[in-house]
Amino acid sequence: MSGIESWFEYLSKRWDLVASTLLETLGYVVSVTVAAAIVAITVGVLTRNRAFPRELSLAIASVFLTIPSLALFTIFIPVVGLGFWPSFIALFLYALLPILRNTVTGLQGVDSSIVESAKGMGMTRLQILFKVELPLAWPVILAGIRVSAMLTVGISAIATLVAGGGLGDFIKSGLARLPLPNSLEAIWTGVILSLLLALAIDSSMRGLGRLTTSAGVRS
Amino acid sequence: MNESRASRLDLIVTPAIGLLLAVLLFVVWNYSDMDPTTERILEPANLARQLQQQLILAFWSTLLVIIVAIPLGIMVTRGGARGLKNTMVGFLGLMQAIPAYGLIVLFFVWLGQGATTVILALAAFSLLPVLRNTIVGIEQVDPSVIESGKGMGMTPVQRLARIELPLSVPVIISGIRTATVITVGMGALAFLIGGGGLGETINAGLKLNRPTAIFVGAALVALVALAFDFAGALAQRYLHPKGL
Repeated sequence: MSGIESWFEYLSKRWDLVASTLLETLGYVVSVTVAAAIVAITVGVLTRNRAFPRELSLAIASVFLTIPSLALFTIFIPVVGLGFWPSFIALFLYALLPILRNTVTGLQGVDSSIVESAKGMGMTRLQILFKVELPLAWPVILAGIRVSAMLTVGISAIATLVAGGGLGDFIKSGLARLPLPNSLEAIWTGVILSLLLALAIDSSMRGLGRLTTSAGVRS
Repeated sequence: MNESRASRLDLIVTPAIGLLLAVLLFVVWNYSDMDPTTERILEPANLARQLQQQLILAFWSTLLVIIVAIPLGIMVTRGGARGLKNTMVGFLGLMQAIPAYGLIVLFFVWLGQGATTVILALAAFSLLPVLRNTIVGIEQVDPSVIESGKGMGMTPVQRLARIELPLSVPVIISGIRTATVITVGMGALAFLIGGGGLGETINAGLKLNRPTAIFVGAALVALVALAFDFAGALAQRYLHPKGL
């Protein structure tokens, strides 16, 4: 079809732009997912034996996810200005809940008799955490990280509205130039590359899951 | 224990954060220096009109989702449609990876400007939660309860109307709550394709570089979403069939 041909022609003429925009979105995904994973796993670990702070942090993280994206991306502008930071903060707040919830679920799913036997073997609390609880919970935690990463790809398209760059740039410029030539191609570029990036992240994180899950847990 | 404690905290934390935001909004509204441009953007009559537009968009799209997704969910959980169900849920899951921003723009390209376009885009984006929860809700009904319905001589339609659906109401309501919050929030993007809504205030603030207007618009959008989520939480807590 000529539509698809003209899209490929559109892409082939601007590989540099496509690559740099894709890298911007990937930059959000990596920085946001890493930051959210560090914070959420830490909170999940620290509150694993205390019901109230655990449920409170879960409730707060879920409030962030109910705040509409345009609102969360713009509400920090008076404080941090336009560009990368308002987008990063919003995406970070969104990414917390899936990881936190899965960390909590994963740690609670660890059979208490296994923890008991680790104690019986004379392991310290830190050893139990790092050698027993976290490895056993890891597949569940990683599934949460995967959900957060894919969520970030989709929502980061909004970043363009606060001058934060990323694949949303194509959608915005296409919409602004409608119905001129190449405007549709630009919109499809933003949508399809977001979709492909989400799928690529999904499958690569599933692969990472197999590689980083300890052999005993896997079987 | 976890479930009840979590939902009880939900009922406290959401209004607490909403209240915090409302106080912040009140302070900014009353004590920040507003130039004439900001005042024009934040004209209360404008804000009220945009809020009304956004709620109307959310209402119709949520209604559309309920009308489409619940019968669809019932249909694919009847025996023999298992393959169709998995294909459909998989496809909609993939659709979910399309950015909301891209989806609303694609609907605009496809259907042109207007409220109908926005309503259909919002409905497409929030179809999955209701559909998935209808399926999950019906499938989690204990098969032995359905069996005893059969034993009592109930027809398939009676079993659906008097056993399966009433028992899945809480799960379905939770899906409708998610869909409502999505449509109320995503309505803020309607301004992109000339559909109005509170996004107009945020956009005007962005275009004219008025941080106060941006904050007021964003806080209002957030408050509306939090209010609907809270109402949904209350409905989930207090609306369920007798005997559950």
